[in-house]
This record gives sequence, structure tokens and C-alpha cells, in this order.
Amino acid sequence: MSEQDHRVRGVDHVAFPTFDPAATVRFYRDVLGFPVVHSICAAGWGPENHPDFIHFFFDIGNGDRIAFFYYFGTPPEVGGPAGEKGDVHARFGADVPEYFVRSRHLAIHVDSEEDLLEYRRRLDASSWPVEMQIRHETIESIYTHDPNGYMFEITRALRPVLPQEDVDAELTVDALLDVVAEPEPTFGKLLARKAELIASRVPV
Amino acid sequence: MTTLYVLDVPENVAVATVAEEDPAVTVGHRGDYFEITADGPIVIDRRATGCRHAVWYSCVAGVARDGRITQHDKNALRVDPV
Repeated sequence: MSEQDHRVRGVDHVAFPTFDPAATVRFYRDVLGFPVVHSICAAGWGPENHPDFIHFFFDIGNGDRIAFFYYFGTPPEVGGPAGEKGDVHARFGADVPEYFVRSRHLAIHVDSEEDLLEYRRRLDASSWPVEMQIRHETIESIYTHDPNGYMFEITRALRPVLPQEDVDAELTVDALLDVVAEPEPTFGKLLARKAELIASRVPV
Repeated sequence: MTTLYVLDVPENVAVATVAEEDPAVTVGHRGDYFEITADGPIVIDRRATGCRHAVWYSCVAGVARDGRITQHDKNALRVDPV
């Protein structure tokens, strides 16, 4: 367990590029109802031929924000050739497995089933309908892709996280660090190491 | 001897309950973990637990080095002595 005090207060902002600000504003502001809360209009500067840009922010609840950069005069090809999979920032070939393509995503929290279904209703009435609604036994989520191809999830917890789950997570991470420090880490080796940590650290 | 640890959270209770139906298997507690032990194999029928895949495939917290998972699929979880 970390002995250091925990001072941070959530996400200030997470930022992504967009080449389609009109659709991005429609999706986040008009479809989802996320207020526009901040923007920066900046002339390009610096040594790297930085284009002029607009940086605009949407409130995602809790005072946290999702932000986008729109660069004037900059085509999507600035990020390389279009990918068969992925989004405007992460471009992947057709052979890259879906689990990897989907691994990096943003999940926004709601408190209730009513709230989850309200966002489902808003998305389903838009050009970006919900692609999946999945109940993973302890959480329930809806998923779609935003106009930039970014995977977008809204999720709710079906029960609170219990204290023993935090303890278990610490043992998992410690076991993981031990296993990845050795050659050829496997899931079986992790479970064996975690069993040792449970036996040695958890009182009977 | 085989030892299987399962975290004691509501979704996992059925895993321990089904394991205990085998008279050769003992289910105790170590802190907030079920400590499931047997001299021979531990076999847990997935359908009997009622677990769906997200919980079923993440219910194992640890397997002591004298045992090894030899089956973990939609039918059963089986831990055999090494």
C-alpha cells in the first residue's frame, strides 16, 4: 500500500485531435448534452510549424472534461495513412486484433440504470447509435464510437466496490510485478505467486 | 494437496458453495478469501454456480504451487495436484 497521501482530484481533462469539429460538437454537445465549458483559440507558434488551432472542452460531469484539438489547414494524413481499424489518432491495419484496438478507451460514469438508459436513448436517436450494451455482472455499459472513431463507453456499477477488492487488487499488482520481473510471465505463474502472497499476508 | 483461493464477494459465493458439495473438498476462509482445499482435484461445475462468463473467468484469486488449473472453460474449473 502506498504510504503517500493521495491529493489528486480526478480527471482535469483528457485531450484528442479531431478533423471533424462539426460532428464532434454534434455528438458531445447536441446529442449527449455535454456543455461546452472552455476553449482556447491559438495562433500557431513554436519551432515545429505548429498550425493555428482551436482547443475546445466539454464537461463530462464532476467538473472533469474531455477536450479536442482542431488544427487549421491540417488534413487527417498528418497522422499517417488511414488505418483499416482504429481512430483518427491510432491507426491500425486490418490484422490488428479487436481486443487490442479497443483496449484504449474512455469510460464515463453514471449513477443509475435510469441515467444509462437516458444516454442510450440520446445516442440511439442520433447518427451514433449504441453498438453494444453489456452487463458484466458487476457493471453495465453502453458503447459506441464517436465521430472521430474513438471508442466511447458509459458505465454504471451494479454494486459498490467492496474493501476486499481493493486489498485483492494490491496483491494482484504485487504478484504481477514479481512475475513480469522473471522470464516468460504467464497467468498461471501470477496465480501461483498471488496464492503465496495471500498465504503470507492475509491473516487466517 | 490443491489449494484454490477465491475472493469472497457476492458473485463468487456460488463458486465456493458448489466446490463444497464435493465431500473431498474443504472450504474455509483466509481473511476475505475462500480457501478451497482438497487432497486430490478440485472440480467446480460452471452451470451449477450460475456464473456467467465475466465472473466465471475472473473468479480465481490464486492457486498454490502444489496445484495447477487444467481446465477453465464454459463447463468447469478444474485444479489438479501437480
